[in-house]
Amino acid sequence: MNGSEGEGGEEATGSGHDAFGEEQREALRRATRLEWITLAWMSATVALVALVAGQSQAMRAAWAEDVLSLLPPIAFLVAARRIRKRPDRLHPYGFHRSIGVAHLVAALALLTMGGYLAIDSVMTLVTVERPPIGLTVLFGHAIWSGWLMVAVMVVTSIGPVVLGRKKLALAERLHDKVLFADADMGKADWSTAIATIAGVLGVGFGFWWADATAALLVSVSILRDGVKNLRGSIGGLTDAEARTYDDSVPHPLTRRIEERAEAEPWVGEASARVRDEGHVFHAEVFVVPVAGTEPTLDRIAALRDRIDELDWKVHDVVIAPVPELPSTQTFRSTLRTGPDPRP
Amino acid sequence: MTAPRRSRALLLVAVVTLLLAGCQGGFPADPQGTLDRAREGVLRVGVSENPPWTLVAADGSVAGSEVELLTDYAETIDAEVEWVPAGENTLAAMMREGQLDVVVGGLASDVPWTSEIATTRPYATATGPDGAEVTIVVGVQPGENALMTDIERFLAERGGEL
Repeated sequence: MNGSEGEGGEEATGSGHDAFGEEQREALRRATRLEWITLAWMSATVALVALVAGQSQAMRAAWAEDVLSLLPPIAFLVAARRIRKRPDRLHPYGFHRSIGVAHLVAALALLTMGGYLAIDSVMTLVTVERPPIGLTVLFGHAIWSGWLMVAVMVVTSIGPVVLGRKKLALAERLHDKVLFADADMGKADWSTAIATIAGVLGVGFGFWWADATAALLVSVSILRDGVKNLRGSIGGLTDAEARTYDDSVPHPLTRRIEERAEAEPWVGEASARVRDEGHVFHAEVFVVPVAGTEPTLDRIAALRDRIDELDWKVHDVVIAPVPELPSTQTFRSTLRTGPDPRP
Repeated sequence: MTAPRRSRALLLVAVVTLLLAGCQGGFPADPQGTLDRAREGVLRVGVSENPPWTLVAADGSVAGSEVELLTDYAETIDAEVEWVPAGENTLAAMMREGQLDVVVGGLASDVPWTSEIATTRPYATATGPDGAEVTIVVGVQPGENALMTDIERFLAERGGEL
């Protein structure tokens, strides 16, 4: 990324694109293409499901979810545009945080989808609403509408499954939590489709509760994903410790940054605070020079470059030489106390 | 729960549902077995007066095109029809209590009693008071899908759609 300018150099925060290597640029291009395909597919699904939904509550719920699952791709595409901009007077930290906002939107979409499905199915079960599914006449043939619903659910769920898997792989390479939440949503779409099919067939066999029960089971796991993503996105936006793309563990880079700083002969102690700006990390590294050595500008600039080279995600590094670690920052990376999660 | 485990659980639900259903006849089936009960038995039909579809005389006898329609349908399943004339909201309440199987009265497809009355496919059209076209349906006990599809098939055949 940047050249060898010193601490707080004028190019410390470039645009989101400046941070990327060729591999990440390619991943972002592919992710953008996938999200456009997702948008097109989901719009077609929304139209198709609306046509066959009729009076079936489950199909209407499936339709509402399809509408909601348009949100994460839109959020991703908007954010991917925003991060192209370079920092300016009004946005001195750049636009990386758009990714965090998009993650919040995606998390809320998941949560709403799960909540809607849960409430809808509980209401159906409590009020003993027996779903009526009648006949459709298609080209002079009478077909039970349930079969049409099953067919539509099978066809429309192929897209989210295939796209979701591809997005999951890109989400890790790009450290993109929006893409991760969206892939989660695709997975949720797909299990909803299976549940709807099981439910509609169950209704066909005379079990009126099959539909709602299947939906309730699925809604629990969607809600769990929603809560996990909501916590992750709020954590990111409130400068919580940087975590991996799936928010499962603290990001190992924080520890590596501290270790890299302490590897310098002139550094005695180092403590880094690293926050996830969306795709890229912003790191402030407090270093305490060994007694009797001077933290010269050359040394600081060299250390800054070396930390910068650790990973493409390390994007904006500030080295702060201090006589002793600030009392509020002495905890250092939580990874130091726990086991190393790196494989 | 991970995705594979989730889908496996759902697959299990689907398989169990299919196995359970193997023991029953008819697809789609009635949760309350209305069609089986009415066949060679009694079909309970609520009638709300709405000429020319339905007419209720002072002595409680019924007539009209939908009365003829349901009489003909009942013949196809060898059922006797028990006519229950009443106002629409009374009929809706009786449907909710499971005291009726079918409701007629020139119901429009956008009938407001959606949780009490399930509607068949439209089988006729009429002109509403505002001049707009309304589609006419028959009301069925919600969820009794064997009865509903049977009536819908009868209506479609009579209307020349099949």
